[in-house]
Amino acid sequence: MDFNELEEMDGVRWSWLTWPSSRLEATRCIVPFGCMYTPLKHLSANRLPAPLPYDPVQCKSCTSVLNPYCRVDLRSRIWFCPFCYHRNPLPPNYADISESNLPAELIPDFTTVEYTLHRQPAPPPIFFFVLDVCTREDELQTAKDYIIKALSLLPKDAVVGLITFGQNIHVHVIGYTECAKCYVLRGEKEYTPDQIKNLLMLAGGPPRGAPLNSASPPGPNPATVGAARFLQPVSEGEFLMTSVLEDLETDPWPVPENERPKRALCTALSVAVGILESTSAGTGARIQLLVGGPGTVDPGKIVALELGDAVRSHSDIEKDNAPFHTAALKAFDDIAARAVNAGHAVDVWACSLDQVGTYEMKSCVDRTGGVFVVSESFDHPMFKETFEKFFSTDESNQLPMAFQASFEIIASREVKVAGVIGPVASLNKESPSVSTEMEIGIGGTTAWRMCTLDPHTTLAAYFEVVNPHQNPIRDDQYRYIQFITRYTHATGQHRMRVTTTAGRWTSGDNIPEIAAGFDQDAAAVLMARMAVYKTENEDSFDILRWVDRMLIRLCAKFAEYQKDTPETFALSPNFSLYPQFMFNLRRSQFLQVFNSSPDETAYFRSYLNRENVNNCLLMIQPTLMSYSLSGAPEPVLLDVTSIKPDRILLLDTFFYIIVFNGETISSWRKAGYHEDGKHNNLKLLLQAPKDDAAAVLDERFPYARYIECDQNGSQARFLLAKLNPSVNHHSAAAEYGGSDFIFTDDVSLGVFMEHLKKLAVSSQ
Amino acid sequence: MFSWFWDALSYLGLYYKNAKILFLGLDNAGKTTLMHVLRDDRVAQHIPTQMPTAEEVVIGKIRFRAFDLGGHAAARQIWRNYYAKVDGVVFLVDAVDRERFPEVKKELDALINDEMLSDVPFLILGNKIDVARAASDEELRSALGLHHLTTGQGSAPMSDIRPIELFMVSVVRKMGYAEGFRWLSNHIP
Repeated sequence: MDFNELEEMDGVRWSWLTWPSSRLEATRCIVPFGCMYTPLKHLSANRLPAPLPYDPVQCKSCTSVLNPYCRVDLRSRIWFCPFCYHRNPLPPNYADISESNLPAELIPDFTTVEYTLHRQPAPPPIFFFVLDVCTREDELQTAKDYIIKALSLLPKDAVVGLITFGQNIHVHVIGYTECAKCYVLRGEKEYTPDQIKNLLMLAGGPPRGAPLNSASPPGPNPATVGAARFLQPVSEGEFLMTSVLEDLETDPWPVPENERPKRALCTALSVAVGILESTSAGTGARIQLLVGGPGTVDPGKIVALELGDAVRSHSDIEKDNAPFHTAALKAFDDIAARAVNAGHAVDVWACSLDQVGTYEMKSCVDRTGGVFVVSESFDHPMFKETFEKFFSTDESNQLPMAFQASFEIIASREVKVAGVIGPVASLNKESPSVSTEMEIGIGGTTAWRMCTLDPHTTLAAYFEVVNPHQNPIRDDQYRYIQFITRYTHATGQHRMRVTTTAGRWTSGDNIPEIAAGFDQDAAAVLMARMAVYKTENEDSFDILRWVDRMLIRLCAKFAEYQKDTPETFALSPNFSLYPQFMFNLRRSQFLQVFNSSPDETAYFRSYLNRENVNNCLLMIQPTLMSYSLSGAPEPVLLDVTSIKPDRILLLDTFFYIIVFNGETISSWRKAGYHEDGKHNNLKLLLQAPKDDAAAVLDERFPYARYIECDQNGSQARFLLAKLNPSVNHHSAAAEYGGSDFIFTDDVSLGVFMEHLKKLAVSSQ
Repeated sequence: MFSWFWDALSYLGLYYKNAKILFLGLDNAGKTTLMHVLRDDRVAQHIPTQMPTAEEVVIGKIRFRAFDLGGHAAARQIWRNYYAKVDGVVFLVDAVDRERFPEVKKELDALINDEMLSDVPFLILGNKIDVARAASDEELRSALGLHHLTTGQGSAPMSDIRPIELFMVSVVRKMGYAEGFRWLSNHIP
């Protein structure tokens, strides 16, 4: 079964295609029943018709949307809801439909359709820049240059605003003023949303983004009250905002030696959220927080002013030795809740060699669907390239992002919704479909908010089979699950995308049928998201144990073997890679935090939480390509034995891409053979992996770190750390040369598999 | 071989001294590997350290809060931010990578001459002696200009002089650094 092909149809990948029909049997399948769903995935025109220019027909009883799986009685003009079996009359405007004249949403191939809803178009989205001025001068200059660049890239009707912060918060006036003006708020003070509203006189005045040249309406003077002073369309505000930025200098407050700058990061973010929530709730908005160091003075501070006090590490947090951590986490969680309420997203551009506190800010990004970009400097391509890409419009001159979205699941009665893991926040929607027994991720609801999303955003949805064992379901009966995503398109149109899926049931003892529908890629990512979600509350050791236990039990159930005879253990092809995925997941930076700062961990986990199956799998288990003079490039095992002196390897881990030259190749290059004209094939060989890497970098968001290195060089560790250590410094083979080896006491995949086989065949 | 580490009293959590130490050195010197071995007594392969990390390791009577700072050129810019209140510097050198000895010397000289670190003992570890072509103790001393700087491997407290000493080690073979840390422990006030 080609699961990738199935994904192209609706943007859905299930862990299991065929489900056992009883609750009891379902629990014995170990890997949960769930799917990875990409709501805004680009689908081909023969699967997704052009947006339908009318409102959807919904079931009067359960609000499901009319779809190809509905039985329609054309004579009596009735359609039957496949979810709740309610009989609904077809609306009058469907009077002339017939077998040969079906509306798009009833055509069998269109299991995913999109509606353009008849509502007043939404105002253009807001991009509120919040810029740290406590950085070095050259860093600030680059950040300013790139914000100015963003203004030139954004559609002219997009609304922008600017807050700068250091010890204090400066809210810049970019409308209704002749010269630069700003409101200054104290950084150390905690402002309530009401205080922000009153101090900045946000009530009254024309709405934010109102054009300057409109005839002034009666009422308060827009130059002194209202949000339009701070938020203007690019076409109106670009000139003034650019000049404010050009004149902007680093924070003038003196910083004593041995101290950090006073940086009111949390207050600045709170003010930005405050302005937006009191003037633009319900309108698409993204806050662009550009930060170059840790907060040090406000409730969200993560470290003291004195340099002698270092920023908390993972071990500090574990040992409860991080005095500011809990308070900061709470301060940012509160801000996240306000942003989610208003439907606004927070994007964090953290550009610093040291931590800035993204670990504490994670709810602001992960609950609102924003992005984390972590780079060592504003001058690094990881910031510059990503920032530029973020603000670039697509071929139809639109920003490739949606706003103010919600995601809803409607399911057959035999199925309950256990939860969702992804960049969402709960809308606490009660429904009979909410599982009462099982909660995975953000559960207790059938609807979630997504403040923003893009065509990559992928949610992991988990389900529980609740049909009792005594109540068999016929094999020809289907389970239906419908995903409804309402969102504001970049054009301002209100849209609704509806994907309806149907899947087979089978009896719980029909193991071959169930096993045949196992998608190991999707299953590995669904399990990885669960494992990472558990890191919020559980000890990492317990999570590793859980990953192991689930793997052993899955293999015990679905592998072929004779009891207590490990040599007979065999997995069918659609299970065979799964143990390796789990092996690499255990070793990954998602579950092993040694040598990562908490900030880096938050960044890595954030992307596992939002990307599609293929990208998440790449993060768990990188791909390795080999280039040599003796043939075309080919994928090779992610294993230390793949290192050969006459090979170039290209490793892609999603977060970084490395070109690794074998010893012989690098000695040829150092000798300059590729430049003497006689060895054109070497020249081509050296270029090929670089070209392939460049093509990947061009597509990747965020822009990946790119490394070129030679065997035995310092940077080779980027590759070695990801390879299976099948030969290590204890192995005799290490002495023979020929193959490289890895200094490690970690177990190899071979040893891991031996243990797995032994435990799987002996369990129960 | 670690038995001496675990003095009975300190094992019970009594008489711990707290000390802040920094792991410094060029990239690929072995700082993170050392940190991991000290914490878990296991060798592992790590990617180059990006942001600084910290771990708590107990050696002998001292509870070290050890900071592992990235060694690549960009990461060295922030080493200075960690100098305040430091009790010791552990400086690692890749004894195999002779090409970079001049770069090592430059960084080490800068550290030793930094005013903020003027009283701080320096434990220099010449790492990777498991590799046959690694520089010897003598070669490394002369390449790094240590002959007139080091203060001897003795444990007696020194007055007026800042302790600096070189120990040849193999972190992955778990050789040599135990003596180094014992020496360092004796010179942390």
